Amino acid sequence: MYLKYRKLKNLIFHFSLYLCAALVLIPLVLIIFFVFKMGATSINLDFFTSLPKPVGEDGGGMKHAILGTLYMVSIASVISIPLGLLCGVYLSEFGKGKVATLLRLTIDMLTGVPSIVIGIFAYITIVVPLKSFSAMAGGVALSIIILPIVCRSTEEILKLVPGHIREAGLALGLPRWRVIFNIVVKGNLSSLTTGVMLAISRAAGETAPLLFTAFGNMYLSYEIDEPMASLPVQIYNYAISPFDDWQRQAWAGSLVLIVLVLGINIFARTLISLKHIKFRYRG
Amino acid sequence: MNNIVLSVKDLNVWYNDFQAVKGISIDYPEKSISAIIGPSGCGKSTFLRCLNRIHEEVPGARAEGEILLKGRNILGSKIDPVQVRRSIGMVFQKPNPFPSMSILENVTLGVRLLGVRDKSKLMQVAEQCLRKAALWDEVKDKLSQLGTSLSGGQQQRLCIARALAIDPPVLLMDEPTSALDPIASLKIENLMSDLKKDYTVIVVTHNMQQAARVADYTSFFVLGELIEHGACSDIFTNPKEQKTEDYITGKFG
Repeated sequence: MYLKYRKLKNLIFHFSLYLCAALVLIPLVLIIFFVFKMGATSINLDFFTSLPKPVGEDGGGMKHAILGTLYMVSIASVISIPLGLLCGVYLSEFGKGKVATLLRLTIDMLTGVPSIVIGIFAYITIVVPLKSFSAMAGGVALSIIILPIVCRSTEEILKLVPGHIREAGLALGLPRWRVIFNIVVKGNLSSLTTGVMLAISRAAGETAPLLFTAFGNMYLSYEIDEPMASLPVQIYNYAISPFDDWQRQAWAGSLVLIVLVLGINIFARTLISLKHIKFRYRG
Repeated sequence: MNNIVLSVKDLNVWYNDFQAVKGISIDYPEKSISAIIGPSGCGKSTFLRCLNRIHEEVPGARAEGEILLKGRNILGSKIDPVQVRRSIGMVFQKPNPFPSMSILENVTLGVRLLGVRDKSKLMQVAEQCLRKAALWDEVKDKLSQLGTSLSGGQQQRLCIARALAIDPPVLLMDEPTSALDPIASLKIENLMSDLKKDYTVIVVTHNMQQAARVADYTSFFVLGELIEHGACSDIFTNPKEQKTEDYITGKFG
């Protein structure tokens, strides 16, 4: 009798866990399902290779916005990934004392700043003095978004490395920077890359920081000091427009954005696992 | 007595206000095995960790006195601990191969980062050290597998090979077999006896039988003080101090 009761309890808890796991997946599945359903019909080669057509004309694409997003995310990555990684290494390996505590606090607060406020900050500090919306301002705004994510994920990952691993390195007569770089950091490249990739995909999807920094445009631009289109802003502008054709394109844009973000993640993970296999079967 | 390779003179170690090692002086002859025994908390690990200055990793740790390596005081403020550790290797209590590195990379990391790039030279060092650590025959066909994929005893021998790769004249071992089963322990003990031909080994152990089996000299510590130091044959059969006798006969500790 007692055994039956215990097994029943086990079954109920087991089932609840599966149910929760399923519930978590529902929003993601629904979003992907709807975006594919609504967007897939408007996706064609033109969407990737041509620029927007005037209202009323059919066709046209978002080449400028896709490239613009890649361009500005690259600017943000160049600024924030090295800075965030180094900062995270500092916090994990030397992070004691007042400076580190202050830095940690600052970074935590930065994580909590609403993205629209970061947009305003970039507007005031870059757009206003230069008297022009620019890709640079957009990139800087995105870099502020991802900096704390890269930094804290780096710190948390490296803190998981047990102290005796560092001691083993030091006991080999390696200087501390060698131990940190060749053992602590290199040994965790895959987790570090995952953190960086999550930050990048976050930046790729942000709209608010770009609204009044990069602003957006309807033509192709590679100029760092001129307004630049981006997928999220383009989707936003098209989605709130009254034109059916534009709204369809907004769905298509959403699909591209989702695939891009998922793609970045999958690409990074495969790259790491490939490298790891090569590494394991070498010499 | 042979040449003294390492000579500790009046070593005192503090963790903040707590004194863990109290005025210990021991000489270590070249190419011998010396064991340090004593109850938990007697400062034997702390003492060992001072010998390659890895104690500095613990915040608040402070050592005073002299540790002379071939006549040079390695505790001196002008001495770089990195240089010290190249002459005095260390093997830890828990086997700690570097994660996500292959067996080969684990063994050669030290020499690679000291500037050796030539592949055949690295391979040669790896084979030589893995042979010395009595691990070569077990791993020669799977050098590219992760070091962490080995069994505990093999991992510990990998760590010994890794320490030998930079060819330090002195090797410190901090309870190297306490995480291993008796068979793996025995392999490490046999290995230690082999290492004695080329290296000076100082080993901390909880296991008195181990000390009696492998060591030439044994020091007995209690509460940070050196109670007795001498040849193993004397310490275990004819101890001078009552405390030593009580400990080795199991009356306390």
